[in-house]
Amino acid sequence: MKLTTRAICLGLGLIGQSYSLDAEPLKINGFIAQGIVQAQDSNFVTDDGDVSVKLTEIGVNSAYRINPSFRMAGQAVYLEGGNRYPDGFRIDYLFLEWQLLNRPNWKIKTQIGRNKNYHWLYSSTRDVPHTRPSIVLPQSLYFDVFRDVALGVDGLVFIAQTNNKLGEWDVNLSYGNSRITEEQKKNLLGSNSSGKLKHDFDIQFSLYLRPNLTNFQFGFSLLDADFSYQRGDNDTLFTGDETSQRIMFNLLYQGQRWEIASEVMKERVIAENILFPGFYSDVTAEGGYLQARYFLSNQLTMLARLDIYDRDRQDRDGKNIETLSQDLVPGYFGLMDQATVGVTWKFAKNIQIQAEYHRVKGTGRLAPIFTPDTVINNSKYWNMWAIQLMYWF
Amino acid sequence: MNQIRRHFCSVLFISLGCLLFVGFSVSSQVPVVRVVVNPSVESKEISVEQIRRIFSMRQTAWSNDQAITVYVLSNQQQTHQVFCIKVLGMFPYQLDRIWNKLVYSGLGEEPIKVQSEQEMLERVSQRPGAIGYVMQQIIGDNVNVIRVLEE
Repeated sequence: MKLTTRAICLGLGLIGQSYSLDAEPLKINGFIAQGIVQAQDSNFVTDDGDVSVKLTEIGVNSAYRINPSFRMAGQAVYLEGGNRYPDGFRIDYLFLEWQLLNRPNWKIKTQIGRNKNYHWLYSSTRDVPHTRPSIVLPQSLYFDVFRDVALGVDGLVFIAQTNNKLGEWDVNLSYGNSRITEEQKKNLLGSNSSGKLKHDFDIQFSLYLRPNLTNFQFGFSLLDADFSYQRGDNDTLFTGDETSQRIMFNLLYQGQRWEIASEVMKERVIAENILFPGFYSDVTAEGGYLQARYFLSNQLTMLARLDIYDRDRQDRDGKNIETLSQDLVPGYFGLMDQATVGVTWKFAKNIQIQAEYHRVKGTGRLAPIFTPDTVINNSKYWNMWAIQLMYWF
Repeated sequence: MNQIRRHFCSVLFISLGCLLFVGFSVSSQVPVVRVVVNPSVESKEISVEQIRRIFSMRQTAWSNDQAITVYVLSNQQQTHQVFCIKVLGMFPYQLDRIWNKLVYSGLGEEPIKVQSEQEMLERVSQRPGAIGYVMQQIIGDNVNVIRVLEE
């Protein structure tokens, strides 16, 4: 039985038991968002690049405190994002929390079950529209093709919070893996892959500091993840392995009128045997974004962001990709830089509309990754815009 | 010469008077938000860092292990805005981000929202370990005012 399923059963059981105990009320929150999107000259959202309504996000969550030490929390979501990620219902998170220490200066807890990724600036609420600065997050780090894997883990999370003279500290550690669906596999490896892709393990660590009485936050995180591929029938790919190791730094400044956010990363990706027996690739990607938000009023927020990504730091213009593929794959598949402007208008309580425009150079973050689609993604420069209406409770 | 001095003194007094008037008017217009706690809470004073942690939901227990229940007003209410900026030294949107992260990632719970200051006083007075804030006059001893120590 899958860990997630077991966690769900455990959760329902505990919630049921808690109801019977008539302790604290069950809390229910959620969100619903619908938008329109168009990514011209690319397969980012749809293969034809037309205007699409594949921008639906619905979620309901609940949390229940069983007693001072134990608590359950879960969220189910329904998503439609076109080619960005698989459509449908899924359990976003569902875990049992055990509070190990709760003192004024220390809080330590562990969570078992399906956990969110708490390590990056926007990773823990990536699917929650009103918590995001933009509809589409910077693809250098928040790579939609890899979304379900990066979203969280089935496993264990350890969280410690403390404070001292320097400020407030958060330490997060997670260990586990994620189930990779058939659609997700095809997004990564291409439609000709008939084998099984498995996320063997994923370990992440992050540390955050908010210096006392300042508006700054600094953080860094480490990631190590292993994947294995088992060749299928009539498969164009071969049995092999992939390892990703990532280091990230982030900064957040929150002023009265301005909010500045930045995350940068370096990611080493080692792939063995997958494309053909004896294949070996060891490249280090670099990327990051700088984002500024200006609060014109309590209702109106403007956004500007520059996001850059190079798949191989030693081949930033993708010349090696052209050479190795004998000019079948253009060099712009080795990079993806993105300039974004956007606006958010919160026109009523818990209702807002977000609109944005992206000018993109390169196709390095478009699916499928291992076998690039050079037919649809034949433009070095492409544009995207999106408008989304969102309500939350 | 004396006349000039007299004129100078008059101008000085008038200016000072104006300044005092303006200063008094301004200070009388600066709203004061008081942090209130349930009488069961032993602490009589609290540091600004600690109250930030409490309203960020990072600290959920008092030093005697009593659970803290946090009550807040909505973002639109002036009392909440003044409390955030003057007492916590934060902007209301910063608290919103923190609470959203807690609620929508499962990490924790957000404070309990109340509709009015009157409701705030009632709820804080009824719940052991509770904390809130009001701008209005506090009558009676159903809640205690806790002093926030500046740096």
